[in-house]
Amino acid sequence: MKRFWIIFIPGIILGILLVLGSNKAISLTSENDFCASCHIHPQATTSWKQSVHYITKSGDKTACVECHLPPKGQGHIPAKIRTGLRDVWGKWFKDPEEFNWEEKSRLENARKHVPESTCLYCHETLFTPELSREGEEAHLYYDQAEKTDDLHCINCHLNAGHYIEGYTHGGNESFGMLEEKPEIIYDEPAKVTSFDSFTEYIPGSSASFEMAAIPGGEFTMGSPEDEPFRDEDEGPQVKVEISPFFIGKAEVTWDEYLAFYAQTSGEGRTTDTEGSRSGPDADAISGATPPYGQPDQNWGMGDRPVISITHHAAETYCKWLRLVTGKNYRLPTEAEWEYACRAGTESPYFFEGDPEDFQRTGILAAIRKNDTTKINTFVVYQGNSPAKTQEPEAVKPNFFGLKNMPGNVAEFCSDWYSDSTYSMYPETGVIDPSGPPSGEEKVIRGGSFRDQAGNLRSAARDHTKTDQWLRTDPQIPKSKWWYSDCSHVGFRVVCEYDEKTGKKDNEE
Amino acid sequence: MKNNISRRNFLGKAAAAGAAGAVMPSLMNSCAPDGRMKNVIVPEFLDQAPDGPELKAGLIGCGGRGTGAAINFLSAGPNLKVTALGDVFTDRLNSCRERLKEQKDNEVADENCFIGFDAFQKVIDSGVDIVILATPPYFRPEHFAAAVEARKHIFMEKPVAVDPAGARSVMVTAKKAESMGLSVVTGTQRRHQRDYANTYAQVAAGAMGEIVSANCYWNQSKLWHRDPNADWTEMEYMIRDWVNWCWLSGDHIVEQHVHNLDVINWFTGKHPVQAVGFGSRHRRVTGDQFDNFSVDFVLDNGVHVHSMCRQIDGCENNVSEYIQGTLGSSNCQNAIVDLNGKEIWKYKYPLNDQGEETNNVKVSPYDQEHIDLVTAIRTDKPFNEAENTAISTMVGIMGRISSYTGKLVTWDEMMNSDLKLGPEVFEFGPVDIPKEIPVPGKAYKPNA
Repeated sequence: MKRFWIIFIPGIILGILLVLGSNKAISLTSENDFCASCHIHPQATTSWKQSVHYITKSGDKTACVECHLPPKGQGHIPAKIRTGLRDVWGKWFKDPEEFNWEEKSRLENARKHVPESTCLYCHETLFTPELSREGEEAHLYYDQAEKTDDLHCINCHLNAGHYIEGYTHGGNESFGMLEEKPEIIYDEPAKVTSFDSFTEYIPGSSASFEMAAIPGGEFTMGSPEDEPFRDEDEGPQVKVEISPFFIGKAEVTWDEYLAFYAQTSGEGRTTDTEGSRSGPDADAISGATPPYGQPDQNWGMGDRPVISITHHAAETYCKWLRLVTGKNYRLPTEAEWEYACRAGTESPYFFEGDPEDFQRTGILAAIRKNDTTKINTFVVYQGNSPAKTQEPEAVKPNFFGLKNMPGNVAEFCSDWYSDSTYSMYPETGVIDPSGPPSGEEKVIRGGSFRDQAGNLRSAARDHTKTDQWLRTDPQIPKSKWWYSDCSHVGFRVVCEYDEKTGKKDNEE
Repeated sequence: MKNNISRRNFLGKAAAAGAAGAVMPSLMNSCAPDGRMKNVIVPEFLDQAPDGPELKAGLIGCGGRGTGAAINFLSAGPNLKVTALGDVFTDRLNSCRERLKEQKDNEVADENCFIGFDAFQKVIDSGVDIVILATPPYFRPEHFAAAVEARKHIFMEKPVAVDPAGARSVMVTAKKAESMGLSVVTGTQRRHQRDYANTYAQVAAGAMGEIVSANCYWNQSKLWHRDPNADWTEMEYMIRDWVNWCWLSGDHIVEQHVHNLDVINWFTGKHPVQAVGFGSRHRRVTGDQFDNFSVDFVLDNGVHVHSMCRQIDGCENNVSEYIQGTLGSSNCQNAIVDLNGKEIWKYKYPLNDQGEETNNVKVSPYDQEHIDLVTAIRTDKPFNEAENTAISTMVGIMGRISSYTGKLVTWDEMMNSDLKLGPEVFEFGPVDIPKEIPVPGKAYKPNA
């Protein structure tokens, strides 16, 4: 404690000096070298020097403070004091190794460190002669839109101040092209003759995935009123009977999705209409057009769950899977999803533990130093992910053999979302419910790599946010295949147990 | 998407709109009904643009309105010349050239007369200071962009586009022009008409309270048409018959009625955010357009604006606007009455030789537009109304699409629509576009 005061007091004095201090002090502490003396996090200086704000046509260089502090007269000095104190604190009391720099660089967090006024201070006109057609549309949107905190220049220009390898906010025609021909190409889908877990093979690709047989049964959907972090839309609890089905043991991976993309994708923006690629063959499926930007966020693909795809794209993927495998694949209903996630449990998670103990932020959490071993074993979430998706190997499955139901990425369901879905069902219980007949947004279930423990509960509900997730897509019309602003949602597939998967006629 | 047109347009800028080149805008104090005093700038229009170094204008589109606009320009003040002409038809260019010579003693050199679909660029590049864009509106977004790219001041006729993609393009180009300090006047001449501008100032100052509803009308007899001619290709025929083809004119709800829609936008300081329209075709002779529209527009504050337009002989005619406020109403042009119909305010027109009040403003608004443009350029006070007119054009397009489809159409849909009318190729030959007349309830709704 003594050490604390010895060091903290000079910090306060330094702060006061900044307030009262001369222009000299202010300008000295605003020099790039001064900033760099503390900001030693990986690549801060290098990536700045590689960015378009350093390598410019005119040779002008934009200094750290020009982007990271508001312009003079617009709150420059107060911000300088505030960030200065915070930085001194961080420098002396925190271990830079412990910072999750990747998370701090993510758009939502980066916005906090780049006041938008700094962008507009220099970039007075948004409509420069060199602007592309898409840039014009995007800037027109910006110009007319209501100014909210999440509408920020760096939504589209994230790499403006610090170079990000592979970052693109533009048409990405070559996305998903296979670099080398895979060794195995499956030519037959799996043959399923009995109600057992099986491995599906996607014909014409090297992708396969595991499907778990989930026995039918009854469970209570929703959460009791006293469950921590419960939202109103999780009740009233309702008794649900579920018929047997198969569900993916893991979330649909990039490899699986790219098999679909490669076989069905349109050849450019002009083909972004249903059926244009399929020609006269009514059975063929017209798939996604190339993305705008980098849908995998440069986190890698392979076995990582597919992200940035729209609900429509996920449904089309299932439709295509039906065609190439001859089995009835689809998105899970919300009830199937929760049944599969709970795997017979009635507690907040399918593993032991209190959501409040797993919540990581807040003073209480710091004091309690809770044991998070359990949750770390089963879930990729904010507490253990380096701010991005992980491969399924990172966690253990639930009792049904399913991985990452609560985390890694949130998952699309087939139901329309309503906050009063459960009160719509009869009190006596319901069989295989599929949600309201219509709605505006679809249900998503499960938390993601960026969620805290409360959102990972088996009963937690959420929904798509179409407008928000397409915000920085400057294309007209916006893509119906790729969300420009949603990197935390994916999906898993359900396969129906029917005559195509071994169900006999006389079987109930 | 919320729009900031209200903030941007109300009072300040919009009032200043008419004040292009005003030497000393005077402040008028008007007592608002709630007792608060609001200051509104009354536009001070000059009768002639000030003198200055010669300004050369090039005219693109030498039809009736283009020729008229060129004459209005030449009448705006001293030292103004039209030095280049462009059109796709030699006969139109020649007759324009002759009229300029006869009426204004303005001669255009042979080498500055350009014919063809690329004539616009040649006019722009011919060393002019100002370009006058008066072709059918389909071409406006492209010509406007080229003129701004070349840093020219611009007079362009309304409407400024025929489809959502074109209207958005003009919004963007308007911004570019603004950042380059270029002046742009757009043929919505009521904003340059002294009675309208003074009425606006009264309304903005609160003389009739808050606006609660609005109506606007352009009901007139049949316009004109051309019959096909065996010597003409389809492209030539369509362009000569342009007010009857949607891809060229935007249909008359856009082509003519934009004037009235623009007045409502001006007075309310907003633009509609959605439209439900009716429309049909009863008597039209050529083309693919409707001859009547009736549209219920709604502003973001819930105020309804009813718009009507018709081009049919033998029916009741009416070209006007009407706004209802909490304390009275106005015809937007020259009078405000209270809720009992008693006159609150009336615009005072100039007196004639006998000392009687006339019906006309001192300077024709068609001349005033050019006086305001030349004044803005010569006094170095840039004035740019292109964005306002692009918004009003988009409102007309929104009403048209709703009437064609029978569906509710929103402003957001328009701002996200990739609908682009017209053929891919421009040459004198067949025109490869759908020519069906829209049927409400069945027509394709673009990008909804």
